[in-house]
Amino acid sequence: MSNAFEGLKEGDDYSFVKKKFSRTDFVRYAGGGGDFNPIHHDQKFAEAAGLPTVFGMGMLTAGILSRVPVEWFGPTALKSYGIRFQSRLWPDDTVTFKGVVSKLYEEAGVIHADLDLSAVTQKDEVLIKGFSTVRPWLPSS
Amino acid sequence: MAHINPPGLPIERGKIHEFANSIGAEEPLFHDEEAAKAAGLPSVVAPPTYTSTQAFFSEKDAPNMFKELGLDLRYVLHGGQEYYYERPIFAGDTLIAEPGETIASTKEGKRGGSMKIFDMYTNYKNQDGELVLRVKNTLLQTAGVVKE
Repeated sequence: MSNAFEGLKEGDDYSFVKKKFSRTDFVRYAGGGGDFNPIHHDQKFAEAAGLPTVFGMGMLTAGILSRVPVEWFGPTALKSYGIRFQSRLWPDDTVTFKGVVSKLYEEAGVIHADLDLSAVTQKDEVLIKGFSTVRPWLPSS
Repeated sequence: MAHINPPGLPIERGKIHEFANSIGAEEPLFHDEEAAKAAGLPSVVAPPTYTSTQAFFSEKDAPNMFKELGLDLRYVLHGGQEYYYERPIFAGDTLIAEPGETIASTKEGKRGGSMKIFDMYTNYKNQDGELVLRVKNTLLQTAGVVKE
């Protein structure tokens, strides 16, 4: 069990940066996640839809953002995780993935933390806003 | 594009490893069976958004699903996704996805004209019939390309 809950306060944060997304990052996620919508890998298809180039899958950004609660509290701590997509991820974007504790409380005697999550580009454009509730989870529970 | 689908969604170590790499996750409990056992877990843990790999196992590929909902693939956006975990999902589990309801609505957008919204619910049960995960998937269709 992660002891990240010890001494945790509202307002505490955790973040990391992913530099310069590449088209290869998108293709790797197509293979890993199964999203073969050509708008994420086929330049001609993207142009025919009126876009300058391919853009990253929302679920790629969502998958990376899920690492915030995972790396902070451990992969079994998540009770919920939700995201709302706001704008598109383009090749060469550099993105900051961040979580902030918005609320700390007890439920049935177990500590819970609500997190506000975000993925924001170098241009201060919000790609995703998200939320997660985390609490310690033990194999016996 | 024909494919043969096994019953359910088998949760596999190799696929978890590949998926975790595709989101740059170095968490040992996604990759290392020994580390998972040492932590008292039955096997490696599936990452929070891992069930998106269900696309590999769904009966219909995405373009067909879009057609059935009357969506134009060029203008479909993924609006959001919510996961509610009853317990972690481990390699060795087999999940059965039970489609719940789809709620359609329309919203007047600021930039792309009117927008159709589809909230699609799925419940995932494990091999013992226990509910392990509830997912809400939101798809949006704009009237045209949204310029940004």
